[in-house]
Amino acid sequence: MTPEKFRGLVSTVLIVGVAASAVLIGAGFAAALAVGWQGSLIGSAASAQSTTDFSNLPGRLATLEPAAITQLGLAVLLATPVARVAASVLGFALERDRLYAAITLAVLAILLTSIFVLR
Amino acid sequence: MTPQADLGIFAISLAAGLIGALAGVGGGILVIPALTIGFGVDIHLAIGASIVSVIATSSGAAAAYVRDRMTDMRVGMFLELATTTGAVCGALLATVVAPAFLYVLLGLVLLGSAGMHMARMGEETPPTGPPSKLASRLRLESSYPDRKLGREVPYSARRIPLGFLLMWIAGVVSGLLGIGSGVLKVLAMDGAMRLPMKVSSATSNFMIGVTAAASAGIYLGRGDVDPQVAAPVALGVLAGALIGARLLHHVSNRTVRLVFLPVLVAVGIETIARGLGFGI
Repeated sequence: MTPEKFRGLVSTVLIVGVAASAVLIGAGFAAALAVGWQGSLIGSAASAQSTTDFSNLPGRLATLEPAAITQLGLAVLLATPVARVAASVLGFALERDRLYAAITLAVLAILLTSIFVLR
Repeated sequence: MTPQADLGIFAISLAAGLIGALAGVGGGILVIPALTIGFGVDIHLAIGASIVSVIATSSGAAAAYVRDRMTDMRVGMFLELATTTGAVCGALLATVVAPAFLYVLLGLVLLGSAGMHMARMGEETPPTGPPSKLASRLRLESSYPDRKLGREVPYSARRIPLGFLLMWIAGVVSGLLGIGSGVLKVLAMDGAMRLPMKVSSATSNFMIGVTAAASAGIYLGRGDVDPQVAAPVALGVLAGALIGARLLHHVSNRTVRLVFLPVLVAVGIETIARGLGFGI
């Protein structure tokens, strides 16, 4: 992999993550302006769940709750740097830069540990 | 939040994203006090929103900086080894160490480094010389296209062990206190490793998202990320970061230093204030 392609790969991961999260957050925010943060776009009973509670996301997405759509967007945004590090591991490996593939893999491991273990 | 408050938060976040993208910091310095003092948002929700703002600034700006060769990905990945390890140590230390004293100490260090930063104010590009053995071995030498100067500017990292140590400390600080990680990163790369200011800023931008992502899960699980606050912040910061990332090409390294200086001083003062018990 050439350095240009490598940069393209990492840049694309960041753009896709940012664009997807911006669309979801924007859509959720606009929907909240229309039906309120506790409402739902298909008009089902208002959720009693606090907007800071990210649990049961798929169920609440199915009923098109503005809070759930925004939460999904925020989750995508928070996951974007992790995806970027993962893409960098791949990039360095394809560039046959063993030292940096190892360094980046270590960073990914520490990152995932701190996200899933230290909480 | 009223629509007026949403609009106000969006506008301030846009400014934070713009400054953050230029200076290589996350913008929490602007977002947190604006939310708590300006809009009466609870401090925990404000910090949660600032984590979102850091990641939005980082990802939004870095997408352009990586493509345009402003970010040095090897420098970034190598130093992320230090910051992520430091962040884990900081998070573990957080239960043992009383942070009040550390806030004051960090604030004083930042204000002190503002003096050194001012001494470098007029410098457009760092002095060059043959790369050290370690820089060659780690491939921490490169060049970046400077559209303002109209030429390719070569550089190689100096004092790599010191830079690595400072980055580890930056990680500890962000894991422990949750702030100041961007300014410390820029200071380590510009001041200690003598990378060009724009490369320091762009590479710091690239890195801060990863540092913030490491602790994002904790804030999310605690219920500190409220979409009602975080949505206008994220949208505003993203818009600002995209503008800021375009702007970087049209300004000089001196201008970037000039933007960074008040951010550095403000973070220093805010950090001391927090250590002394003012909840901003």
